[in-house]
Amino acid sequence: MNKKRDKLEVIFDILKTINSHHNSIKPTPLLRQSNLSSSNFTEYYNELLSKDLIKEIKDNKGKKYVTLTDKGFRYLEKYKLILGLIHEFEL
Amino acid sequence: MIEPSLMFGTELLFTVIAVIFCFLIYFKTKESYELTRHEGINYFRNAFLFLGFSYVLRFLWGIMMISRTTFEFIMPREMFAFLFILPLGYFSTISIFYLIHGSVWKNSDDKKFLILSHGIAILLSVISFITRSPLILLCLQCALLCIVLLLNFAKPHKKTKISQIKVLYILIAALWLINLLVIDQMRPLPLEISILFQITSLAVFAVIYHKILKWVK
Repeated sequence: MNKKRDKLEVIFDILKTINSHHNSIKPTPLLRQSNLSSSNFTEYYNELLSKDLIKEIKDNKGKKYVTLTDKGFRYLEKYKLILGLIHEFEL
Repeated sequence: MIEPSLMFGTELLFTVIAVIFCFLIYFKTKESYELTRHEGINYFRNAFLFLGFSYVLRFLWGIMMISRTTFEFIMPREMFAFLFILPLGYFSTISIFYLIHGSVWKNSDDKKFLILSHGIAILLSVISFITRSPLILLCLQCALLCIVLLLNFAKPHKKTKISQIKVLYILIAALWLINLLVIDQMRPLPLEISILFQITSLAVFAVIYHKILKWVK
């Protein structure tokens, strides 16, 4: 598999992890479950924030949680179709 | 003598359908690109966007040519050559490059390839503008396509299998060149043959659009 394809998969895995935790997880357990190095995770995390796929929220105690945005949910929903498109047209 | 209105009608109908297909392909893949920012999808949809513009300009160029020989009015050619040939040369060349780049971007230096593509596209459009001839553009694009095909498929140590989608990409580029030839002032092909190529072009667009619909529900 190529590097860029892996990137889509990594993003999918991060989003899936958030979703499987009832759409609310702290950044540290998310880092642990993403199987990425800390620097790689930070890179992906910032990218997902900038692409508006995830957002940070704070609870009453000021603790930070990560949740999916509507766009994040759409990514999860469309991921297999997008992979199909990429394979079909050899992109 | 071919009836001018028939010629105009077939060209108009062909252009409208071809442009609709190109823009549909562009807009149908919008969400996939917006969600992933995948470079391959980006190049692919831009190829069809620019191809759509190219077909519009080709039609306008064709109208100008028909007006010189069949209608009662003559448009000032020099002025329109400037308006049409420059963008026609640029858009069509860059659409061919984007189509190629969509498939090879993973194995090539993105920035260098893009700079080279835009440079060649500008060069080709300037040459065709100076010579005031889409035929020069056609010859240059034809040479370009042959070079790309040779580079892609003439790898002596690799068994290169031409996939169905690559065949479709080659057909899109080849049919563009034929359709550009058809529109020339001298009209080297009979109308029936031109229509046959136009139908084939639309069939290729339809196949690609149908394939896209499977993945953009």
